[in-house]
Formats: sequence, C-alpha cells, structure tokens
Amino acid sequence: MLRLFVPLTIVGATLVTGMIAAPSEPFSGTMEIRSITLQQAASMVQQTAVVVSLIAVWILAAIALTLMSGREVRASSTEVRASALHCFTLGLVAVTSFVLTAIVFSYLVPFLIGIPLLFALAVFAVITKIYGMIAVFHAVGTLVAGARTRNQLDSRKWLRGDLAMSVLGVLILGALRLIPVAGPIVWGLASVFGIGSALATKFGRREPWFLRVAQAF
Amino acid sequence: MKTDSCLRYLEDPDANAGHLAECEECRALFGDTELPTKPIDVPQLPLATWEGASHRSWPLVLAGFVVALAAAAVLCLIAGMTPLRVVESSFRSVQSMRAFVFTSAAALRAASMGAQIAFFGAFIVVNAVLFALLRRSPRGIDA
Repeated sequence: MLRLFVPLTIVGATLVTGMIAAPSEPFSGTMEIRSITLQQAASMVQQTAVVVSLIAVWILAAIALTLMSGREVRASSTEVRASALHCFTLGLVAVTSFVLTAIVFSYLVPFLIGIPLLFALAVFAVITKIYGMIAVFHAVGTLVAGARTRNQLDSRKWLRGDLAMSVLGVLILGALRLIPVAGPIVWGLASVFGIGSALATKFGRREPWFLRVAQAF
Repeated sequence: MKTDSCLRYLEDPDANAGHLAECEECRALFGDTELPTKPIDVPQLPLATWEGASHRSWPLVLAGFVVALAAAAVLCLIAGMTPLRVVESSFRSVQSMRAFVFTSAAALRAASMGAQIAFFGAFIVVNAVLFALLRRSPRGIDA
C-alpha cells in the first residue's frame, strides 16, 4: 500500500493541477479571449517551472544537511511527530516574533544599530526555515514510508535510512506543493511546523536554550 | 552492621564472600535478589528511530534528484525561462516580505505615541510567549 502511495500522490497532484489549471470558460473563438488564456497558461507553466526548480534545490539541500548532521535532523523529525501541537504553536509564535522583531529592527535602522541586527535576524530566520523544512521532510518521509517493524526494515534495500526519508519527504511535499491554492497552504503549514521543531530541539541538539540561574552558578 | 566481619565484608566483598552465608542481615542487604523477570523478545520491541538510519540508499536519492532536475529543466524550456529568471522569481516572496517590513517600520515611525507603545507592548508579549515556549524541554524519544 505504501509503495502505491507516492505514485498515487503524484498522479493525484497532476490531475488536480490539470483540473484547476484548465480554462473554466468555454472558448468563444475571439482572438482576445484566446490570448488571455494563453497568457494564463504560460504564467501557470512558468510558476510550475519555478516550483519544480525549487523542489530540486530543496532535494540538494536535504541531501547535504542530512549527510552533514543526520542525527540532529532525525531528532527534530522525531519531535515533529511526538509533539506536533507544541511544534506548531512554537512555529506560529516564532514566525510572529520574527516579523515583529524585523519591524522593530527596521525601526532602528536610522540609528545604524538596526542594520546588523536586521541582518543577523534574517540569517537566523533563513537557517531556521531551511533546517526546519528538512526536518519536516524527514518526518513526512518517515510517516509515509518509514519501516514499522524490524522485519520490514531488514527486507528493504533502498527505502530505509535518513537520506531516503528526507528525499522522499521533499518529493511528497513537493508534489503537494504543485496543487494550486492548497499546495502553498500545505507548504506554509510545513514551514510553521519546521520552524517550531527546529527551535523546540535547538536545531536537533536537544539542549535547553536558556540556563537556569541555579545551573549557571 | 554489627560485627567486624560485616565491616570486613563491606571493605572487600569479593575476598569475604563467605560472610553472606553466615550473616542474615548482610545477606538481606547485599545477597542475590530474586526479582521476577520476564524474558524480553527483542524483535517485538518498538523500532528505535536510529535503527537503520545511517543507511544511504544512493540510487533512490539520485533518482529523485535527477527526476526533479529533469522536470525543472523541461518546464523551464517549455516556459522559455532562463535559470536567472527562475532565481529572480523565487526571490519575489522575499522581496515582498522585505517591502512589508520596511513599510510597516515607516508606518510605525509616523504613528502616534500611543500606537507605538501598543506595538512595542505586543512585541514584548509575543517574545515573552516565545521565551516561555522555548523553556519546555523537547519530548522526542521520551514521548
């Protein structure tokens, strides 16, 4: 059943994309309407090309990060699955905090101190987003195609390991991303979960962010 | 601990192992406990997250990457887009975000003192909630 899930998801995403992308109004035969439809079609193909190119870049990033720090990615992925609600809440609050902090730092730009602060915040936000998304890819891949028993794990030749789970997660979420309207929403929710899991586990290190006073002395 | 023999046993249990047979109190404290144990069927235990995690299935990974890259190349060719244009398009959301932040900051500077205080109040509240949420230790494997 799991072997069928991935191809079915891709076929389903393609069908839904085709159904939504298809022109809803009947062709009237005038030149003007035909040119508008062609423009819309071209725009749709361009958007899809950008999305698919980004998915390829995400696969490359997932491979690199999983190879460099697979254990950390796995820890964050486990956190997404173990306490999803906490990750989602933390992600929402963190995104709000990033936006508000960016506005406050932009407010401070005339005083010069705002520029390095804004740059540091942007770098931190981008790193959090990239790391968190890859943790979510791993979580999705494991949820969909992860082995449930040892016998299942032993019998698998390719569909096992952190690397395969991360890449599979990118492909699944990427296929969902191609669905108009719903795709960006799913991708955005994944970003929120990812940012939450990255912060909840301190980028997979599972250390506290703040020392208590008693621990500090 | 009543006798010198007990003390000698405490100092070197291996050399004075015979003491356990003589002293009931020491036997109760340090003797073999016969706790009821159940045999563990290891294959039936839940699969740990790290089991098989280090395996690298390169054929699957490379196939996924090549398929995505080929699809992107074909779509870019059909749409007549250059790689530079793709990069520009992908940064559009970042540019809109940057414009939103700078516009909001300009609006904040022009706003009344009350509005500015309310904004900074919201900023402090949101970051306090974030601080409180970050203090919770991750559950992960303990869940």
